[in-house]
Amino acid sequence: MRVRALLIVLFLTSVALSAATVNTLTIPPIDYKHRTLANGLELYSIEDHSTPTVAIQVWYRVGSKNDPEGRSGFAHLFEHIMFKSTKHMKAEMMDRLTEDVGGENNANTGDDYTKYFEVIPSNYLETLLWAEGERLGALTVDDAAFKSERDVVKEEFRFRVLSPPYGRFYYDIDKDTFAVHPYKRPGIGSIEDLDAATIADVQQFHATYYRPDNAVLIIAGDFDPAQMNAWVDKYLGVIANPGTPIPRVTAKEPPRADAKRFDEHAPNVPLPAVCINWLTSSASSEDAEALNVAAAILGRGESSRMYRTMVYRDKIAQEVEADADLREDLGVFDVVTTLASGHTVEEAIKAAMREVESMEKIAPAAAEVEKAKNQLITDELRRRETNQGKATALGTSIVIEHDAAAVNSDLTRLQAVTAADVQRVMQKYIAGSKPYTITYSAEGGAK
Amino acid sequence: MKHFIAGLVLFALPLSAQVADQATPPAPAAPRQPHIPSAVEKTLANGLRVIVVEKKNVPLVSARLMIGTGAAADAAGHAGLADMTASLLTKGTTTKSAEEIARGVEALGASLDSSASFDSSNVDLNVMSPRLAEAMAFLADVVRHPTFRKDEIDRYRAETLDALEVELHEPRELSGFVLSRVVFGETPYGHNLSGTPQSIRKITREDVVKFHRRYYRPDNAVLVMAGEIKSADAFALAQKLLGGWKGAGPKPAAPKPAALPLKPRVVVIDMPEAGQAAVSVARVGLRRADPAYFAAQVANAVLGGGYSSRLNEEVRIKRGLSYGAGSGFDFRRDAGPFSAGAQTKNESAAEVAGLIADEMNRMAAEPVSDAELTPRKATLIGDYARSIETSQGLVRRLSSLALYGLPLSDVSSYITAVQAIDAAQVQAVAKSHLAGAADVIIVGDAKKFLEPLKARFKDVEVIPYAELDLNTASLKKK
Repeated sequence: MRVRALLIVLFLTSVALSAATVNTLTIPPIDYKHRTLANGLELYSIEDHSTPTVAIQVWYRVGSKNDPEGRSGFAHLFEHIMFKSTKHMKAEMMDRLTEDVGGENNANTGDDYTKYFEVIPSNYLETLLWAEGERLGALTVDDAAFKSERDVVKEEFRFRVLSPPYGRFYYDIDKDTFAVHPYKRPGIGSIEDLDAATIADVQQFHATYYRPDNAVLIIAGDFDPAQMNAWVDKYLGVIANPGTPIPRVTAKEPPRADAKRFDEHAPNVPLPAVCINWLTSSASSEDAEALNVAAAILGRGESSRMYRTMVYRDKIAQEVEADADLREDLGVFDVVTTLASGHTVEEAIKAAMREVESMEKIAPAAAEVEKAKNQLITDELRRRETNQGKATALGTSIVIEHDAAAVNSDLTRLQAVTAADVQRVMQKYIAGSKPYTITYSAEGGAK
Repeated sequence: MKHFIAGLVLFALPLSAQVADQATPPAPAAPRQPHIPSAVEKTLANGLRVIVVEKKNVPLVSARLMIGTGAAADAAGHAGLADMTASLLTKGTTTKSAEEIARGVEALGASLDSSASFDSSNVDLNVMSPRLAEAMAFLADVVRHPTFRKDEIDRYRAETLDALEVELHEPRELSGFVLSRVVFGETPYGHNLSGTPQSIRKITREDVVKFHRRYYRPDNAVLVMAGEIKSADAFALAQKLLGGWKGAGPKPAAPKPAALPLKPRVVVIDMPEAGQAAVSVARVGLRRADPAYFAAQVANAVLGGGYSSRLNEEVRIKRGLSYGAGSGFDFRRDAGPFSAGAQTKNESAAEVAGLIADEMNRMAAEPVSDAELTPRKATLIGDYARSIETSQGLVRRLSSLALYGLPLSDVSSYITAVQAIDAAQVQAVAKSHLAGAADVIIVGDAKKFLEPLKARFKDVEVIPYAELDLNTASLKKK
């Protein structure tokens, strides 16, 4: 009954607010150009001369889900090796060509892709296109560099998983969430699987996945289009593909038959935490924006439903979040909460489920939908302040959604989401499937 | 890379690829200079300084209302007071409840965050430009008319105690708390910014109300705005919303500099459950307004600023001992801390501490060659240029200049000032601020590194986790 009362209050507020908020916002679209080179490399470019810098991103369509059997964490370890030597570059030369001239570089490995990037003074564009051609076409690796870098990745594992109090929680979530799909394997791997990796694995992985017809090159910023195109042809257009097909993940995650509960434990856990999740559509689904709005209404900010009831009113939780984690092959809708001291995971599960179920039963107020949309649009605007951010937005649409145009059309679709859409996706994906609950507490019983 | 060259075997990958076989990287074209937008300013009749930068490309505005007093003003035993005061601003005003503020701000898609640093207390707003006026009204209201309701204070206290409980279990966070005490003892930068469980329980509503009344006043404040807004409109908005703001009584005096440094210490917090050790080497650094600021920035860029700095080279790239090692000066009104650190497996904690101390000393022992200095300066300049690419980044840089009484034109002269630093200046600042006596702080599983640590460093103090007390310089429960 309290939920219903809350909704009425919100609805009244929405009437008051909408009278005051007549301003509208026109979001400038990302204006990109596209061509496919003869060797299959996809080139996208966004011209912008407002700063004398350029962002280069190379997205390879290979991620942690492609880790070989018994080699969890390999795609990520391989990403580190890509900063070692090539035929004409010594180890760490990427840093000489970027950091040393005032630029930066890095890479990240996701479930579905591995992305390498540089942000550099724009007069170095040709230099870096040469370097990207080198590591796509002529990577070399020696045993000492491989082993040393593997030690670095093991330290990264300790840094991300073993050291933070909730590191093992996030490590466990994917493992418990998926039954069949390789999303279930942790992208950071395990010490044992990392120790088992060899140089032969590195060579095999490069030969299999690092090829022009499996890569997307995005260049955003200050460049001359004719020059840029000529350089891309010269340094990347000449690289040939192997004759072998690119293996793809074909595993299909089956629908969940029953709700399940997993109780995980670790040392050094100050306060218990809970994750409840459901399987949803992939990022390219037309329901994606409504799922994002639903997650924002539930868990984004201090006026979100879970914050208001679980943190602010009932003080059961110290943190709440809700997220539509939509990946290339399928998605997960999750709510995660860290408990306030003196409360049990059972209370948190009950409170979170009450909020989720009320979203299934009753469409949200128009003001809540509007608020969530404004939050998501502002995030997107902030991302688009930099060349790097614009390239990332475009790359995500291309690689995860298989549709470059989605970088602009998703925002249009987001602006069109209604309260009925939010309720519809809650019913379709959340009411219509089974939750898995993962709890996390200290070894030897919850504190 | 000498370390690993012995026995090196190269495997060319078996690629059918035909590569553009060019052995050397193409040379860069002529560089273009970045355009850095300039700031305009105006001081309102009540003493509020307003700084505006017009920056067009995305319909966003960032704004910061900065109070020139922060956690350094926390009284003894009241660690966390400035941060508590700032955090509670958004939790209710004379006309709006905490929930109404959260709902109103978020309905605009805006974020309104308040917190303290050691030298200032800040309210930060980010909003799409068509919604700026509505969002600024919230900012002005929370700064001028907070009520500090008792139930909100109780709520904040409970939440902060839980958050501290989590942070105190995180080796990296905990080592930061310990580092402040070790370097600064019981002087104004010695406590944890967000308090300790004991101090948070002790602070009363009366303390918070007094802190706000004393320091939140227009002549101790600066408003900085950047983004898609015309300066005339920004000044008019500031006048409308904050022109009537008044302070009571005399303006508070600036704090006196502390007597530092203290006797160096080597402190181990023994946490057997730690999955990795957090290792730091620290000492007192420099004031932001110190003439050696740029030399110190360049010295740090060589030592531990960025991926290719000496510390990351020695600890990560050569030895694979950490995911990353680095260092930094935290320049404040008075001399803030310098710290260098890395996280590593417990077994290699002593080795990493030794490597860091060696590299700090080497900075003073030998001049940095031009071949090393030039790229490190470029790194620093590049980082700087990227940091002011966004509206929020510009606001942060400008408010820092304003806080420390530096000219706003420094926002564009930063690049030439860095370029002018030479090896002799770097070595001089390394001699005075990096080499020699330093504190060492390690949070980790002591039995795995204590023996080699004692072999390298004298007078190692081991404090079991259960006996740690962050409220005193001794760090030990009585």
